[in-house]
Amino acid sequence: MRKSLFSIMALLVVASMLLAACAPAATEAPAAPAATEAAPAAPAATEAAPAAPAATEAAPAAPAAATNTVPPAPPANPTATIAPPKSESVTKIAFWHSMAGDIGGKAIPQMANDFNASQDTCYVEPIYQGSYDDSLNKLKAGLQSNDTPAVMQLFDIATRLMVDLDVVTPVQNYIDAESYDVSDLEPNVLAYYTVDGKQYSMPFNTSTPLLYYNKDMFEAAGLDPENPPRTFAEFEEAAAALTQKDGDKTTVYGAAFAIYGWFFEQFLAVSGGQYVDNSNGREGHATKATFNDAKGVAILEWWKRMYDAGIMANYGRTTVDTRNAFLAGQTAMFIDSTAVLRGMIEGSAGKFEVGTAFLPRPDEAAYENYGTIIGGGSLWMISNRPQEEQDCAWEFIKFQAAPANQAYWHTMSGYFPIRKAAYDEQLDKDWVAKYPQFATAVDQLHGTKINPETRGALIGVFPTARQTIETAIEEVLAGVSTPQEALDKAAEAVTLAIEEYNITMGLQ
Amino acid sequence: MNQPVIRRPLWLSVLLYAILIIASIIVLFPIYTAFNISLLSDSELASYPPKLFPFGFHFENFARALEQAPLARYLANSVIQSLLVMFGQLITATLAAYAFAFINFKWKNVLFLVFLATMMIPWEATIIPNYLLVRKLGWTDTFQGLAVPFMATGFGTFLLRQFFLKIPKELHDAAIIDGASDLRFLTTVVLPLGRPALGTLAVYSFLQTYNQYLWPLLITNQPTMRTVQIGIALLQDEERFMFNTVMAGVVIILIPTIILFIFSNRQLIRGLTAGAVKG
Amino acid sequence: MSTSKIETNRDTSPPVGERPRVTSGMRKRAALTFGRAMLFLAPSLILFITFVFVPLVRTISLSTYLTDPIGRPAKFVAFLQYERLFSTPAFVNSMTRSIQFVLYTVPTLIILALALAALGNLRMRGISIFRIIFSITIAVSGATASLMFLYLYHPSIGAINYFISLLGFPTVPWLISDKTALIAVAITSVWLQLGLNTVILIAAMQGIPEELYESAMIDGAGSWHRFRHITLPMLSSTIFFLVVVDMLASFQTFTPIDILTNGGPLDSTNLLVFSIYREFYFNGKYGLAAAQSVMLFLIMLVLTIFQFTVVERRVFYE
Repeated sequence: MRKSLFSIMALLVVASMLLAACAPAATEAPAAPAATEAAPAAPAATEAAPAAPAATEAAPAAPAAATNTVPPAPPANPTATIAPPKSESVTKIAFWHSMAGDIGGKAIPQMANDFNASQDTCYVEPIYQGSYDDSLNKLKAGLQSNDTPAVMQLFDIATRLMVDLDVVTPVQNYIDAESYDVSDLEPNVLAYYTVDGKQYSMPFNTSTPLLYYNKDMFEAAGLDPENPPRTFAEFEEAAAALTQKDGDKTTVYGAAFAIYGWFFEQFLAVSGGQYVDNSNGREGHATKATFNDAKGVAILEWWKRMYDAGIMANYGRTTVDTRNAFLAGQTAMFIDSTAVLRGMIEGSAGKFEVGTAFLPRPDEAAYENYGTIIGGGSLWMISNRPQEEQDCAWEFIKFQAAPANQAYWHTMSGYFPIRKAAYDEQLDKDWVAKYPQFATAVDQLHGTKINPETRGALIGVFPTARQTIETAIEEVLAGVSTPQEALDKAAEAVTLAIEEYNITMGLQ
Repeated sequence: MNQPVIRRPLWLSVLLYAILIIASIIVLFPIYTAFNISLLSDSELASYPPKLFPFGFHFENFARALEQAPLARYLANSVIQSLLVMFGQLITATLAAYAFAFINFKWKNVLFLVFLATMMIPWEATIIPNYLLVRKLGWTDTFQGLAVPFMATGFGTFLLRQFFLKIPKELHDAAIIDGASDLRFLTTVVLPLGRPALGTLAVYSFLQTYNQYLWPLLITNQPTMRTVQIGIALLQDEERFMFNTVMAGVVIILIPTIILFIFSNRQLIRGLTAGAVKG
Repeated sequence: MSTSKIETNRDTSPPVGERPRVTSGMRKRAALTFGRAMLFLAPSLILFITFVFVPLVRTISLSTYLTDPIGRPAKFVAFLQYERLFSTPAFVNSMTRSIQFVLYTVPTLIILALALAALGNLRMRGISIFRIIFSITIAVSGATASLMFLYLYHPSIGAINYFISLLGFPTVPWLISDKTALIAVAITSVWLQLGLNTVILIAAMQGIPEELYESAMIDGAGSWHRFRHITLPMLSSTIFFLVVVDMLASFQTFTPIDILTNGGPLDSTNLLVFSIYREFYFNGKYGLAAAQSVMLFLIMLVLTIFQFTVVERRVFYE
């Protein structure tokens, strides 16, 4: 038996070496001068690699002198490979990100290749570091041992924490030094990432929540598909009209909300409510949670009322389950990020037509005064990197913010362009024509007034707060507590977490 | 070796086969689901009634998965890492289990409990210090960083001890009296008799390592050193989660493990009767 | 192999209380034996000390601090974290849920694995194919299995509820109700562990000497009788092993919860190890996570010692 086990193992080793040889091994290709990296100890991988063809095919065809204004044509044969640096004298920087799927696999490598080809001094290497939580934790560990990137993508809710940790160079420093023109950037987006009057990070992937609805079902229920509900009351009526029953079994629910803390934050913002004190943490550090006021309670009462009436479904915390119920025609309306738009349109192809609308608000007046908060992530510059790396980081950040690149980014990823000029690019015009539903998202963004509510809360313990809210929503739906009780309890817990954060960060 | 087939009345054979087949379907259904989903189109994914057969055979999901993540390279790294851990564990666990099974020494029970205790520590408690250590050793982005921390195993030692204990102690005593060394007894008697247990441990440790996610993510930055589970994560776009692409990736990395398992399974299970202690 | 004498315990160290007189020669021999044993244990011990126990010491000390969000100790608070644990219903909930989960999974797992192993041990044509099928889940990772079950559990378009409704039963809100979510996670976890359990039991069953069954056949014992009085006792050491290992694994179930329920609904699947992960990985409360880790470690240690001192005495090593 041992013989055969060994032969299997030997087979595996050979197979793995073959795989290693066939795999695109860009950074180890013999032509690449990058071969100075830490050599792996096990010889199998390194020896197999030289057989790999030089991964030069990944280099974009665009001339090396390409400037920011040349639109990067979508590659005909996209690969996840990063072309090696042109010479050894370039400054290499790492860019950690959390973008998976097409975005992490194609769009980001493409942008990096374009950047590397566009100039001769800097070389950016994008590295996927798992989910936002994974990569934040890797950064935390890395800060203790100097294993850090020059550019770091983090989710929106890490903003307060990153500023307080004092480990970043605010992009404002570079903006001021170069008099970089930010007037074309989306003001609402910048407002989110501006803390104490300084813009700390550069927005990267930006989204807002939208109401998605099934136009065919609207028509079947006698509702106007071009006139979706705008207020909480209208939404409730529409949900009731859209609900279909077969005997005592509900076949179609009027609406479904995933139990996701971000949605509550958004409903609170469009209601004009604040999540925490000190103007949502925008004028000094927050000290206590304030989402348990009448505005917060009204949201959960509305949600619960629809749930009890059997017109609102609950598919749990995973947002993908709610999306799938919508695509399967089992719920007529739901809310989710603008980033899921393309997936919804493709997934519903041949089945029904998807409509988009503004996030519903308590009343019409709310449309005048408030709006949604932007979500997503931004790019941070880590301050413990050498100066030349930080300079390169800034060059890369500027590069990705250029109109042509933002148009490419927008059309590849489905996130907002952070710059208005991107909409004038032909690439972007074609895309918007293909997905007209995205116009709603742009209108919603541009219609939002900037105030502490719509800039979003700044707290260092946002992940904790989200989970606490999610449990509160579950308690309300299960009838364990009333909306007021559940939110009071949640506010108490979040306040405690904030107090502890302030103590450990030396803020008190 | 395989025992002879027993003669049974026909009705009993039919009934037993029916039970075997039903049990197989239940066990296999989730795996079948992965294969099924990997072949569905985007719009077939979410539909009611659920699509139980992938009649469209949308192989483009596989192309999409391979385009988004360099799975072939990751697969090779995972196999190397897993083999290193596997051989490491087989060696350390065999030695330790031998001592626990055949040598009567002071504090044996306490030391055995120490080994078991390693199975009781949640990874959260050790992962950051281990990361800092591996970084200090300069082992990030290396195979020793990926493998060495896992080369000892409480589970494996326990498993082998249970099997070694079934080997009559008289064999050991007789061998030692005859002047054989421990090492000689271990290689000539214990190892051959313990084959099924060693095989089980080999497969188990290989697959456990193959399925690691956080540790490789933490200690590697080079795409050339990354492993398969990071590749699967790379397919899971949080905002546009496509079950079919993710499952296509899962199927790609599942096939080698299932093949390994099928080939080794016969070896694992066969022959304890033959191997077991005939004197 | 002689089957007439069945030792109940191999350990020949003298029972406490009747200490034999110790001579210097014996002491020397004991020291030699100890050294010999340590040679065999050293490779494992060195690795364990470096990668498990030294980090553990750091964790224990961390549990007496409030930490900053990076994990550096910020303020010494002695046993405050532990006091907090026991005064919050969340920790008590996590404890009871963990125990509930172990009770759901371990017995189910062993019984199902025994049934599958017994089936896989039938002497029939093509049985080796079934053996492979019954143990195939060993090849599937927790993350993969959880993603598959997430799809299967979908309340309205999942295949499980589809089959249930075809049979005319009311559908089950698997992951959405706090009454069923833990069961749903337990099913996933049992399925995942079934392969390992089955493969080990089949291997052990194959090792039962033929003569035992033959003599029982001559006595006219039925198949259930043979299973009950020969197979089970002969498997006791293996079953004991599986109970210990499954219990430890079950206490540390993490991936299915992370993917399927995120600890919800209503904290019904917020098992201890998930709660540790959350505090550590998500909330950055390293001190609190460390305190919970220490508690979890102590619970498992006590249960394991109990199993070895009380249960293992009933196990045959034969």
